Parts: sequence; C-alpha cells; structure tokens
Amino acid sequence: MSTTTQHQDPVTPSTPGSAGPAPGGTPQVTRRPRRDLRRKLLPPFVALVLVLGLWQGLVSGFGLPTYLLPGPGAVIGAVGEAVPALVEPALVTMQEAYLGFALAAAVGFLVALVMARWNVAERGLYPYMVLLQTIPIIAVAPLLVVWLGAGTATNTVVAAMIAVFPVAANTLTGLKSTDRNLVQLYSMAGAGKTFEMFSLRVPYALPFVFTGLRIAAGSSVIGAIVGEFVAGIGGGRGGLGYVITTDATQLLMPQLFCAVLAASLVSLVLFGLMTLAERLLLQRWHDSALPNDE
Amino acid sequence: MSGSTTTAAAGSASTRSSAGTADLVVFDGVTKTYGNGFTALAPVDLTIGAGEVLSVVGPSGCGKTTLLRMAAGLSSATTGTVHRATERTSYVFQDPTLLAWRSVQANTELVARIRGVPRAERRRAATEALDLVGLSHVAGSLPRELSGGMKMRVSLARALASDPELMLMDEPFAALDEFTRDRLSDELLRLWRERGFGVMFITHSIREAVKIGHRVVVMAKGPGRVATVVDSPSPPSADPAARRDEAALDALAREIAATLATA
Repeated sequence: MSTTTQHQDPVTPSTPGSAGPAPGGTPQVTRRPRRDLRRKLLPPFVALVLVLGLWQGLVSGFGLPTYLLPGPGAVIGAVGEAVPALVEPALVTMQEAYLGFALAAAVGFLVALVMARWNVAERGLYPYMVLLQTIPIIAVAPLLVVWLGAGTATNTVVAAMIAVFPVAANTLTGLKSTDRNLVQLYSMAGAGKTFEMFSLRVPYALPFVFTGLRIAAGSSVIGAIVGEFVAGIGGGRGGLGYVITTDATQLLMPQLFCAVLAASLVSLVLFGLMTLAERLLLQRWHDSALPNDE
Repeated sequence: MSGSTTTAAAGSASTRSSAGTADLVVFDGVTKTYGNGFTALAPVDLTIGAGEVLSVVGPSGCGKTTLLRMAAGLSSATTGTVHRATERTSYVFQDPTLLAWRSVQANTELVARIRGVPRAERRRAATEALDLVGLSHVAGSLPRELSGGMKMRVSLARALASDPELMLMDEPFAALDEFTRDRLSDELLRLWRERGFGVMFITHSIREAVKIGHRVVVMAKGPGRVATVVDSPSPPSADPAARRDEAALDALAREIAATLATA
C-alpha cells in the first residue's frame, strides 16, 4: 500500500539545458593523462593517414596532373612558399570574420533578449529573422557592394548577416526553456520581468548561447569568404577568398589547397576560443562542460 | 461519501481545522473548470489551520495540485472563494528547483533576495535555515555536488529562510528513494516542531500522508473532489518524545486505501 519509489535515480543532477544540444568539446584530461591522450588522438590520426594515403594513391595511380588534383605531397611541398603569401590575406579574412562574428553575437543576443521579453516582439520579428536566414547570402552580397563599396566593410556585414541567426535562434530557445518551477518561484517571490531575465533566464540559457556561438564561428568565416568572392580586392587588401579565386583561375592547385586550409584554420581558432570560453564559464555547474569520464 | 459532488459538506466536523484559532487558508465551495470544459475540481470546502499539518492524498488527476496552487494564489477558483490569511507562504516543489550556478548559500537566500530583504538579514536567516536542515557544511557547494536528498533539504532550507506561516508542498519527496524519503518526512516534522508553521502536504503515498498529517484529506477523481477528511488518531505531537500509536495509524492507512479503491 505504500508507494514504491518511481524515480530510480534521484541523484542524477537535473541541470538546465541537459536536454539541449551537446557540444562536441574535447574533454579535459584528468586521469592517466598519457593513456587518455593516446586513446583520444590515435583514431583521428589513423583516419588522417588513411585518407592521405588514399588521396596520394588516387593521384599517383591515375596519373592526375597537379592542375587538376595535387597529391598531398604536392600540397605539403607548396606550404613553405605559400605560407608567407597567405599571412596577409588570412589576417584580412580573420578581421572581417571576427568582427562580423562579434557583431552577430551582440545583435543576435540582444534580439533574442527582446523577443523572449516581449511576446509581441517575437511574433513581429521572428518571420523576418527566418527570412534573413533563407535569403541566399550570395545573392545579397552584390547589393551590399553597391551600398558599402567593395571591401572589408561589405565582407564584415556579410559575415555578420550569416552568423546572426544561429546566435539569436539558440539564445531564444535557451531563454524560453527555463525550468517552469523556477519561473514560478521567481514570480511568487514578486520578481520583476527584468530581474527574472538576468538572474534566471540568461544564466539558464548560456549553454544554448554557446551552441549558437560555435555554429556562428564557422558561419562568419564562410560569410567573409563569400563576401570576398563577390567583392574581390576592393580597397587593395584581398582576403583568403580573393586568393582562392585567383589561384583557381590560374590553376595554382597546391596554393589553392593551402588557402583553403588557412581559411579553415581561421574558423577553427574562433571555434576553439568559443569552446574555451564556454568551458571556463560553465565548467563548474553545467553537465555539458564536464569532462567526459565523469 | 462517493459519487456526490459535495462530499465534503461544509459544517461536517473534519472539514474544519482542529487548531481553530486562525485559519491560514479557507476554501469555500471552490470549483475549477478549465476553458475546454474540463472540471478539475468539484466544490471543495476545506480549511488549513495555523500550525496544522494537513496532508492531501489521492490519485493523479484528482486536483491536488490545483488546490495547492490556489492556496498559493497562483490559480483562481472558477466559482467559490479561496481566502488566504497570510502572505508568508513558501512553496516546495517536487524537484529541488535550485539555480545550478549558485552556491547552496545563495540558493537558500534566493527568495529573500528577490523580495528585497537586506543582505545581512537574509544571510542570517539562510545560515540559520541551513543549520536547521544540517547543511551548514556545504553552504559553499554547488547543487550538482550534492545528493538528491541533500538538494531537497536545500529546497526546504530556502522555504524556511523566509520564515513562513504556511508551507505548501507539492509531492516534495516523491522523486527520492524510500529511505531518504522517510528521513525527510521525519525532518519535516522536526522543523514543524521547531517553527510551528502550517503545512499543506500533497502526496500520493498513503503512508506518508498518515505519518505527517494531523488531518488527511483523501481526494478522488472524475471529477476531482474531496472524498473524505479524516482526523489522525495519533497526530504528530509538539513533543518529540511522544509515542505514536502505530497500530491506529496502520488501521487509518488501510481505511484510506479502501476509500481510494472505491471512490
């Protein structure tokens, strides 16, 4: 007649956002560091070697000319001379992408805040956010060139436009998925909407915000490069997108591969910075930022 | 006592609280019908007296939580009136409902902080409440570092810190294992002796309801209603050394089980 306990595992922490997307951060190494490191690094290393081997085999086996597909050897050989020429363009792209990212992060966060605070704002703005997201950005870029001129300003805006949606959408989801009982506790204690927003909803949404920022990190670099494709060398400083276009027209394939690698490096650094910031901010309390083996 | 919509007739002895002096909440012919026509509560008459522990037991969907939310002022009655005599009310949820990013101390102070209680005062009240639930030693910890039972005790401490006259508890120990659950209901009674607040305690454990209640409200569903209100033959006493008549409580539990089976 006495009730049996229905919840088998009362100790499992029910932290906010644990149902949310799990970020793919690398786990901290705590125990047996050397073995863990080997277990973590060996599989991707083996995969890399296999792919490079297959690639080289394909190129050598079919006798593909370098201007069609350079083998990994040719690409690595080109790194030495390509790198000095890539530093300046990489810095240009980096500046555009990171500035665009910062703009998108600020605007996206604020827009989400306003939409979460006032329902009417969400109903009014959301359709246009979706519209902004569905417009092929490459179609708008020429328009921006007309308005802002060919150059870094246009590329920065393109980067921001493409990166703003993931930040706003994820932040909004986080702000609106706050534990209902906590919201009730706040309103019973007489908390104002603004206090509730900054004391409860924003911290609760942080894991979601960072998911948005990590997606935006990649998007903003794509945006900057797309901008450079369209805007070209305006202002005299070409970014990686410009280098890629010119290398392609001149069939400088190894150099082109190096430029592509540099672009992904620019994106990777930003992604890494976001993962690091998330780890620092959330590791003490949130499951998603805990080491895997805990 | 089953079937009729006004089973708990006003005036019958056990719908009145035995404590008598000052009633904290009075439900007077309260019904709740939702917009879609669903009747959550048929007319209910019920009082919660000052310092009284009232347990409410019944199956899911019998309107227990609706009643509790009305006592908290979170939900309004469709007809009838709910008279609430005190604003010093604390609500305890089924889950600990803590801020994962704040320390145990900060969580205990939370309600007082929202209410604008000065820092020194709320710190003192929270420290005292943590002491009372035996968690002073983890005041600086984060919720995720605690066990399920400890988190629930933090939730209790937060409720105590605002010195409530009435504790509204919505199946507060339901998510815990039975052993922890037993210990926490003992602890609740100890806190009640210490502080003398009134309690409205929702549960679906008959044993728990009988153990802690001065009166047990048995609810039935279809529509949600009060099937019967029984006075405990051996209620918890203010004297911690007082012996409880276990046989009488077991008999009451069997009686309630039988009522629930037929209601």
